[in-house]
Amino acid sequence: MLAMKDKDQDNPEGFQLDSDYHDNTDFHLESPVIEADSAVSEILQTELFLPEQNPESPEPDDQLELLGLEKPIHALTIEGVSEPLKFHFANNLLESLEAQNIHVPYQCREGYCGGCRTDLIEGEVAYLQEPMAWINEGEILPCCCVPKTALRLKLKG
Amino acid sequence: MAYQTFNKKKFDAFSQPMFFGENVNVSRYDTQKYKIFESLIEKQLSFFWRPEEVDLSTDRKDFVNLPEHEKHIFLSNLKYQTLLDSIQGRSPNVALLPIVSLPELETWIETWSFSETIHSRSYTHIIRNVISDPATVFNDIIENEFITKRAESVTKYYDALIAGVSLYQSFGEGTHTINDEKVTVNLRDLKRRLYLTMASVNVLEAIRFYVSFACSFAFAERATMEGNAKIIKLIARDEALHLTGTQHMLQIWALGKDDPEMGEIAAECKSEVIEIFREAAEQEKEWAQYLFKDGSMIGLNQDILGQYVEYITNQRLAAIGFDTIFSTKQNPLPWINSWLVSDNVQVAPQEAEISSYLVGAIDSEVSVDDFMDFEL
Repeated sequence: MLAMKDKDQDNPEGFQLDSDYHDNTDFHLESPVIEADSAVSEILQTELFLPEQNPESPEPDDQLELLGLEKPIHALTIEGVSEPLKFHFANNLLESLEAQNIHVPYQCREGYCGGCRTDLIEGEVAYLQEPMAWINEGEILPCCCVPKTALRLKLKG
Repeated sequence: MAYQTFNKKKFDAFSQPMFFGENVNVSRYDTQKYKIFESLIEKQLSFFWRPEEVDLSTDRKDFVNLPEHEKHIFLSNLKYQTLLDSIQGRSPNVALLPIVSLPELETWIETWSFSETIHSRSYTHIIRNVISDPATVFNDIIENEFITKRAESVTKYYDALIAGVSLYQSFGEGTHTINDEKVTVNLRDLKRRLYLTMASVNVLEAIRFYVSFACSFAFAERATMEGNAKIIKLIARDEALHLTGTQHMLQIWALGKDDPEMGEIAAECKSEVIEIFREAAEQEKEWAQYLFKDGSMIGLNQDILGQYVEYITNQRLAAIGFDTIFSTKQNPLPWINSWLVSDNVQVAPQEAEISSYLVGAIDSEVSVDDFMDFEL
């Protein structure tokens, strides 16, 4: 107690924050609401945050639309499969193959387990996320890539 | 040669091999020799979960209603998994940390091992929930010959490496007389032990867990023991990541760029590694026989499980660039895949209503009373 008293005497100004104290009687627990023209703020919101389309409505296709560009269609060939296959709308190569009744073994579908490892014989793919599983020369992970060109694949097993 | 907790030497971390180089000094993660281990750490941390987050209250009722032979399947699998994670929760630390030479790999080993301790804790959580005296289950792990037999094949490589490294760190290379016994310590031999240990760990993560996984998911496919399956799903997700970690180490060695001697050893040990895989596959098939000794369960029997073991053994061999050894080409249990998908795993703490979820939360209820002892 004594020590505290001494301190108070040393500092007659009393307790201070690390900056000058402004006598502000407008103390708010919550930050004050800035009144704004409601019509203007609505437009701002729409422009800034809302997508043109209702995200809840079913999308006609899953691929991001590139302005003025046709969505490319890439031909897929799988050794031992005679039907013509293509990649058009799917999010990744694995989904595309599954949609066309080609069963590729899979596990994590996120690129870290390597369960869907497939041999790429011809063509080029682009990874949507960096695959973490080990990939040997000439292999791809269909769960996290899309074709850049027509592909020729050989399934494992 | 003695281990140094903080190596005072100044050296280029990028010139170090993964193991048996300089002891790590500064744990820094801004640059990595192998970025993959940093990615694995981050992924593993993002996977963090706790067994208490999964509600097991219906499992208790389900378990009581299981026929005896299914209780045997359920508990035996838990015993085996408890054994595997007991080993994996400590051995990577004890065996690999004294010899690791890269900070990102060192932290990956610690993160990996830590997540295995979460698995062990979840087995206790599950067992405590269905059995009134968990000791009967835990005691059987060291008494049951079907379990101890496999424990031997899992641990012998670890133990050989640990024994060799402790001699190496005490006495260095050369021939020493210890307790009137001549012992030769040879770095290349230690590297060989390290390679075989990693191969056997790869088998543990890749094959040994999956028989139990299959059974847990088979129970849940018929809407029983679903809480357990949810936990096993989280464990399977972690194990897939650990498997990727060991596959990377094996493949980095095999390329020979990290440590040329390791590249030679990888080539030399090829047939020995295939035997480790084959032995594990055979043991797992025997285990399936033991599981179903009093009757199989709906959707699974000894034959199908055996084929599944062969199928994943082939898959895991191919993943590390080896030739397959079994003729099974098709997955006999394709429905398992949907249980192994990562993004189906849902941990919703707000649904599990656990208090610890509120860590860091703020009590935002303020009333006039709260300001009663305030003076300006």
